[in-house]
Amino acid sequence: MTTTIPTTAEAVPVGPGLSMFDPIFIGIDEFGQPVYLDVIYRNLLTAGEPGGGKSGLINNICGHAALCDNTRLVLFDAKLVELGPWRDLADAFIGPDIDQGIDVLRRLLVVATNRYAWLLANRRRKLADGDGMSVIVTIIDELAMFSTVLGTKAQQEEFSTLLRGLVSLGRACGMPVVAATQRPSWDIIPASLRDLFGYRAAFRCTSLNSSNIILGQGWAEQGYTASDISPTNQGAAYLLAEGGVPRRIKAAYLTDTDIYNIADYAAWTRRPTISTPTVNPTEWEMAA
Amino acid sequence: MSKSSPRRFAGRSTGTVTVIEAKVHRSSARNARMAFILTAVIVGLLAAVVAASSIHPILAVIVGALIGVPTGGLVWLLVRIWPVIRLLWWWTPETILGVVLLTAWVQLANHTPTVVTLIVVALVVGVPAAIRPVRRQVVAWGWCLVVRHRLRVCFAQFIIANQSGSLPLILWARPTPVGERVWVYLRPGLSAKDLEGRLDKIAVTCHASTVLIERASENNAAYLRFDIKRREVLTAHVGSPLVDVIDPTAPVSASPLTVPTALDLPDIDMPTVTLPTQGKPAGKKPAATTTANGSKPAASSASSVEDDDTSDWI
Ligand SMILES: Nc1ncnc2c1ncn2[C@@H]1O[C@H](COP(=O)(O)OP(=O)(O)OP(=O)(O)O)[C@@H](O)[C@H]1O
Ligand SMILES: [Mg+2]
Repeated sequence: MTTTIPTTAEAVPVGPGLSMFDPIFIGIDEFGQPVYLDVIYRNLLTAGEPGGGKSGLINNICGHAALCDNTRLVLFDAKLVELGPWRDLADAFIGPDIDQGIDVLRRLLVVATNRYAWLLANRRRKLADGDGMSVIVTIIDELAMFSTVLGTKAQQEEFSTLLRGLVSLGRACGMPVVAATQRPSWDIIPASLRDLFGYRAAFRCTSLNSSNIILGQGWAEQGYTASDISPTNQGAAYLLAEGGVPRRIKAAYLTDTDIYNIADYAAWTRRPTISTPTVNPTEWEMAA
Repeated sequence: MSKSSPRRFAGRSTGTVTVIEAKVHRSSARNARMAFILTAVIVGLLAAVVAASSIHPILAVIVGALIGVPTGGLVWLLVRIWPVIRLLWWWTPETILGVVLLTAWVQLANHTPTVVTLIVVALVVGVPAAIRPVRRQVVAWGWCLVVRHRLRVCFAQFIIANQSGSLPLILWARPTPVGERVWVYLRPGLSAKDLEGRLDKIAVTCHASTVLIERASENNAAYLRFDIKRREVLTAHVGSPLVDVIDPTAPVSASPLTVPTALDLPDIDMPTVTLPTQGKPAGKKPAATTTANGSKPAASSASSVEDDDTSDWI
């Protein structure tokens, strides 16, 4: 891996000790209380109009994952800039290239299958914190680019199918998926894929119908509609997660400087495993 | 007036309000009488039975009556003055606060010269008024006191409760960043669903922007939480705690990127118009359009798309 990290850095950075099994801070609710999300055992779909704040929310999760111990990132971003800052930390960073994307998804699916075989051999059904197995977080910004724009129709369909496999398999084996798209209607994302996402975040929409597509049928009629979010209040959303009723939240926002600072720091703390993966065990042996 | 007529007219005219009041009063008097009789009889009998084990039965009956009748009288009194006790209870925090403040003032005035008194008062009043966080806290707790009374007004004025007119128990309240949160214990005759339809009216009565109701307990439907909102926090800018756990002086890490030079439209020639790494340059556009418009090319009007979106969910 090509990195320009100065190998002569004297200080030994200490990771902040976060874990993907910790709840992730994503913002505040309408009472000013912090909102945390357990992404590890759930998949999150964020949607809403362009400029609603989807990438902002996704970057929070990405930043948390980057600072986590024993966590791998697989990033899909056809727009490059939203998840680009994390590209050196990620095990795979897919730009506007659907072939690469399909390859990575295939690899992920094999990992998922192998993990279930491992779980079976260990008489378990779900990965837990102490297993020492890495958490592989797949984050996709602008899902629609991969499912409708890039590549041929066959490739797009294959992408959707593979992703559906990952979303349905990944949950219990520590491979959650976080995806963002502008409008998750059937012509953009197959309903069979969309319905597998357990958590939904609806950023501003222009119509009740769009909000219903994101949160689920019937919520708008009960007064939970993302169309009543003011267009100037970017980052406000309805979050459907624990509790079963959509909550109004305001996503935390990382500025570009914050994102690059976190990415640099995360790269620094992850340095030993990134540059030479064998350093860690020998270091431990020396210490022992 | 027949027993059921007031209730039948309850929703139609304003005059019936007084009728309901009258009915509540009458039932209060009757309740007191019933309580007197019941208590007197039960306590009297019990006392008589206990006394009969050591004295003559007839004497025991007399002793029973002597004990039962005064006890019944006490209970009668309690039931009769119950509305007053309830009112006192509602105003307990304010009463205690008033008594404490007044006592402090009187003690201060009696034991210190006027100048010192004035200085102390100026400090006690002025410091919280001048320091913003303290002032906010005081005002927030003040609203908590107010809001309990406003909620009671809601229940008493327009949320029809049960026949005996018992109001929900308004427990404690505490400030939140957007307003107040009040815990309420419903009495028989009301449910969270009944209240949900009247949230706008409750908000008006509480001088708030909106009110939300949530169950405070998974196991008890009577235990509710009222969230009263007076301020909007969702427009605030929220920072992330991740910024605090990192060291911003970490060395810059960036893998080299190949930056394209064709950054303007004339830089790109006609035949090479492709999205980066796209499967079929020519065949892509039609493919994308067909997908976007859906596989039903003929009748894909806006309404049919919406239908499909919704039918999608079923
Ligand atoms: N939580 C937030 N708080 C404050 N401002 C925000 C927040 N989230 C987003 N914004 C503002 O909104 C702008 C657009 O946000 P973002 O890029 O996340 O939108 P998006 O939904 O990803 O849009 P697109 O669909 O075009 O990718 C940001 O540049 C930022 O200025
Ligand atoms: Mg975006």
